[in-house]
Amino acid sequence: MSDDERRADELIELAITQDEVEQAPLQPGVPPPPSMHFASRFGGVSGVIAPLITTLIAFLMGGLVVALTGKNPLKVYHAIWNGTGLNWFFHIGNHSARVPFSTTHMWFPWDTSSVAAQNLQQTLLLTTPIILTGLAVAFAFRCGMFNIGGQGQYFAGTIFAVWLGTSFGGLSPWVHVPLVLVVGALAGAVYAGIAGLLKATVGAHEVISTIMLNWISIWVGSYLFGQGGPLQGSQPSIPISNDIVDGAKLPVIWGLKLLQGLSIGIFIAVAILVVYWLIINRTTLGYEVRAVGFNPEAARYGGISVARNYFLAMAISGAFAGLGGALDITGWEYRIGENDIHANTIGFIGLAAALLGRNTALGVGTASLLFGALINGTSGRQLDPSIFRPDLAGNLTTIIQGLVILFVGLNVGGVWLWLKRRRGA
Amino acid sequence: MAVAPLLELRGITKRFPGVLANDKVDFDLRSSEVHALLGENGAGKSTLMNILYGLYTPDEGQILLRGEPIELGSTKAAIEHGIGMVHQHFMLIPVMTVAENIVLATEPRRNGVLLDFDAARKRVQELSNRYGLLVDPDARVDRITVGQQQRVEILKALYRGAEILILDEPTAVLTPQEAKELFEILRSLKSQGKSIIFISHKLNEVLEIADRITTLRRGVVVDTIPASGATEESLARMMVGREVLLRVDKKPAHPGDPLLQVEDLVVFDDRGLEAVRGLSLSVRGGEILGLAGVDANGQTELIDAIAGLRAVRSGRVIVDGHDLTDAHAKDALDAGIGHIPEDRHRRGLVLPFTLAENLALHAYRKPPNSERGFLNLRAIFARARRLLKEFDVRGGTPSTPAAALSGGNQQKVVLAREIDGDPKVLIAAQPTRGLDVGAIEFVHRRLVEQRDAGRAILLVSLELEEILSLSDRILVIYEGRIVGEFPPTATEEELGFAMTGGGRDREAAA
Amino acid sequence: MTAVAARFGGISWTHPKTVGVAGIALGALAFWLALPPLAARTAALPILLGILAIAAGIWAWSRDERRVGGGAIAAGILGIALGFFATRSSPAHLDEVVVWSALGAATLRYATPLTFAAIGGLYCERSGVINVALEGMLLTGAFFGIWGAIWAHGWAGGWAWVIGLITAALAGMVMATVHAVWAIHLKVDQIISGTAINFLALGITGYLFIDKYGDTGTPGDVPDYGIPDVHIHFLQNWYFVGPILGQLNLMIWVSFALLVGTYIFVFRTPYGLRLRAVGEHPRAADTVGISVYKIRYIAVISSGAIAAMGGAYLSIGFVHSFTENMTAGTGFIGLAALDFGKWRPFPTWGATLLFGFSSALADRLPTAYGNQWGTLFQALPYLLTLIAVAGVIGRSIGPAAAGRPYVKQ
Repeated sequence: MSDDERRADELIELAITQDEVEQAPLQPGVPPPPSMHFASRFGGVSGVIAPLITTLIAFLMGGLVVALTGKNPLKVYHAIWNGTGLNWFFHIGNHSARVPFSTTHMWFPWDTSSVAAQNLQQTLLLTTPIILTGLAVAFAFRCGMFNIGGQGQYFAGTIFAVWLGTSFGGLSPWVHVPLVLVVGALAGAVYAGIAGLLKATVGAHEVISTIMLNWISIWVGSYLFGQGGPLQGSQPSIPISNDIVDGAKLPVIWGLKLLQGLSIGIFIAVAILVVYWLIINRTTLGYEVRAVGFNPEAARYGGISVARNYFLAMAISGAFAGLGGALDITGWEYRIGENDIHANTIGFIGLAAALLGRNTALGVGTASLLFGALINGTSGRQLDPSIFRPDLAGNLTTIIQGLVILFVGLNVGGVWLWLKRRRGA
Repeated sequence: MAVAPLLELRGITKRFPGVLANDKVDFDLRSSEVHALLGENGAGKSTLMNILYGLYTPDEGQILLRGEPIELGSTKAAIEHGIGMVHQHFMLIPVMTVAENIVLATEPRRNGVLLDFDAARKRVQELSNRYGLLVDPDARVDRITVGQQQRVEILKALYRGAEILILDEPTAVLTPQEAKELFEILRSLKSQGKSIIFISHKLNEVLEIADRITTLRRGVVVDTIPASGATEESLARMMVGREVLLRVDKKPAHPGDPLLQVEDLVVFDDRGLEAVRGLSLSVRGGEILGLAGVDANGQTELIDAIAGLRAVRSGRVIVDGHDLTDAHAKDALDAGIGHIPEDRHRRGLVLPFTLAENLALHAYRKPPNSERGFLNLRAIFARARRLLKEFDVRGGTPSTPAAALSGGNQQKVVLAREIDGDPKVLIAAQPTRGLDVGAIEFVHRRLVEQRDAGRAILLVSLELEEILSLSDRILVIYEGRIVGEFPPTATEEELGFAMTGGGRDREAAA
Repeated sequence: MTAVAARFGGISWTHPKTVGVAGIALGALAFWLALPPLAARTAALPILLGILAIAAGIWAWSRDERRVGGGAIAAGILGIALGFFATRSSPAHLDEVVVWSALGAATLRYATPLTFAAIGGLYCERSGVINVALEGMLLTGAFFGIWGAIWAHGWAGGWAWVIGLITAALAGMVMATVHAVWAIHLKVDQIISGTAINFLALGITGYLFIDKYGDTGTPGDVPDYGIPDVHIHFLQNWYFVGPILGQLNLMIWVSFALLVGTYIFVFRTPYGLRLRAVGEHPRAADTVGISVYKIRYIAVISSGAIAAMGGAYLSIGFVHSFTENMTAGTGFIGLAALDFGKWRPFPTWGATLLFGFSSALADRLPTAYGNQWGTLFQALPYLLTLIAVAGVIGRSIGPAAAGRPYVKQ
């Protein structure tokens, strides 16, 4: 048990003094209270303004980068905006839409088959895994851990989804799809569980261990799907897996399967958002996770097993990310290639989405939509290369992510105090 | 008397948000005197001294040294003016040696860039011989005793050429014997021309060492008087502003069956060293057992082991007949242990949690607060409202974060939670640390109430006064063992002697 | 055996720590025996030794020597796995891969960026600021190093690498300054701000790389004005040592100097004492007149410069090109090495050599075993780091105030 305590001490090392509670003068020599774990900075439900300002600053500074390299940021952002499909909502007219899973049509204010509509489908497809990798970060964060391993956990789900999806050809979709999704989630849970277990038992810091797990998953994935790898597809010279069988694909509700229409995956992601909210706010597990996140020592004193919660929180986080990987495979990707593994950064985008969304269900959902739109708008498929190179735009997205993380961690109170001191000095 | 004082503070005012810490304070220090600054917790003593040491800037007022106004914008300036401070919590770096700590920031050098360890060692040795402050310059600070650490702190100030020494509650961490040694050192320093400001809230000490005494109350100077002629009673009246109840009003105890039994307990500390070494004790229902001792003699580890927060190496813990040896914290709670932890910020509260959530820290897993893994917020809030009212917690509703409350009210929340768990055994570890008089009285009253309700109360405190006034029976802990049992009529001297390992069990000290 | 026993006569053989260390040695021996020149052909030997190592590890672990115990268990498992693998390989393949002198030189090449990252991290963390941004600083240095060198080679010719190093260091300092302001003044969680720096570095270097060299990649003539190798002619003919040390890149020698210099600075100078004081107990340092903020700023910004030079070595001293995200976790492995080395220069260097060796091994394996297995072996350095973080580092205790912003009174 003294192990737990030492671990708690370590976490307290991470704790920070609070500017907000600085009303009473600190006694000289009294170490700053380990009062607030770093998670507390982000736990608050309040504050829509700060994330909005953060986003604005990030986009402004991203635009500055664009301008500095001699391009017109307004034109670039406009092109990206058009690619997101969010403009679809502004084109209201007199149209009809097919009711999903039927042939009947009904009146609808938007055109469901326009180019903008297809773009929006893409955006929502991308939003789906970001919600889940975002929740993977958010859940661990609520337990006081910084899970940078969403990418690896996502790959774990992806790899198992491809493996199971390409097997069992004759299985009923009612069995096959849930099987793939559940196993994908479990794979993510086990993979993240390694980091959770290491943290819970020997106190290995999750930042280093999850980063290492990311790289291991990348190389294992490259091996599996690469040239001569065990999961390489039937075409010998192409390092890509086979397509998953039709029975393992999610139903498409909007658009065409061939053109990567929107699958029901987005609804599963939204449902998981609700599940996340329920776990965090309405269950004893959520109570324990939050207590450990804010103050592990107090949680331990309250009879809560800190180690168990570290492990559980990581495993649940991993399950979210793994499900995200499985949803991508069953929803629209259907296969994975060696190159995709090196290029995919969904797990890291989830990180930015979680932080921007302040680890709340609603926040993560909204931020995921923002990033989904941004990534879709900057993708090679949507962005006109004559205006802005898509590979540049991809890096612009990374810069914006970085800026979001940089500014979202900033608490307004801290800056204000700093400025005040400067003025006073 | 016509000579200008060495140091003079005139009309010092310092405000913090919501608090007027110092209100037009005048204070002066003469050459070669010990001037005591007396006051309760929160009276503004430390603020005043931090101003003098350059840590805070006063909002108003003036500081004069030998009649000349000086500016003290930083500790560096204070040091340059010959002001040295011995902080209540030592400003020492545990992993460095005594010499390294002393020379830090004014290191002797070799070849211009390298640190000259030999010269540092030699100069520390010289100073330590000159003032009779014996320490080993090569010892690591975390391996020497608290008394020695304090000497290092004093040496640090002297090494920097301090003429004025500020000692902030220097005896708080010392045994009565160590305190006596400190007083010897202070007298010797005084005879060598140093001037000393001695901050304390302990009346007897102030009377023993000081030449003059200034009393602060709520940031205002009550009076400055010569120590000769003052009495404890007169000082207490000045300090608190009314007659002080030196003893808690309580009826005789009616002890019942033993509810907590500890047998031959051995517990290790964080460094893996034996902290509790075969300790036995027993607390009966309806009595308060006071555990007196100098800090870090195994009290923390003992409490942790009883509360299921630390592994037991050998021995047994029995609560009301149930063996709780090596139980988890949850089992200890279930078995009827209530625990007011010594550090409410580190352990007692989850500060960002609401009061309702904090009050549910043990009860959340039991119906009606939760069922089948789901929380019942309605029940949790109803319970919180009831407890906040019952324990007179002010400044918050059930949905206020605990961080927003004052220390006294935070402690009431902890108290409410622990008592409402209906414990058989209540461990109160330093339950009044850092509280003001009103809150202290509240906590003491509640503890006596709980005693009368038949609970077994283990009171662990570093304040002998608290132990003496509350306990029905007193045990003294020294180096992880019980070295003596005393009735509540014992004197501080008797306890103090035992606390340093003296007394009946001499072999325990060996 | 008696001679060996006599030499270690002063050590208590039954002390758990000794047993644990012996276990680690046994694990390494298990692998080594299966390699050339001995190249034991029976798998029984590495398995036996590995099991002994694991047993020693478990014994030490159960007696509270978890660090070395865990290390011995990990060494045993790795020894069995690698030793078994080696005995199953053909001797020809083994000889191809395991050329000790070539492995030695490659180890130093791979260890050098890690060393720069770790030493940069050492200054930063010794001052009490956690630096997970080393990865980003390394990457920044890699890009701006090559950018500066390409920009300067028109007028600086073969000396363009000097300009490259300077631009790299400056760019690293800019990144570090952001981390410093965020961590020290704005008191943002240091892991978050470090992560943000990593993303920024990735995005900015990627953006500029595509913008400048997107179509063709960095020019092929970079080796002509990259950081030169140092030829020590008299050494080159020495047995074993010659091939390793005879021709090394200048920056590898600089890294040796950096290690010695860092040791002297941190543990033998007044500034080092103040640096450590600030990282251990900032308030104590403040009360004797040391400016905590100033020291932390200097430390964090220096760490950016040092790490960026490691990145520059990578791009203009080692591979002579830049690709997006080319550091691939090197900064994090450097950070793990720093933990592993308990924030001391030479033990940290030892750890970078271990990780560098695994990279060197992973790099040479495809030559004998084909690309597919080679791909899998790319995971080896990361796996080893994970094991190190899990088993051996555990909770090694760093500077007491690391990660905690200092609030001045």
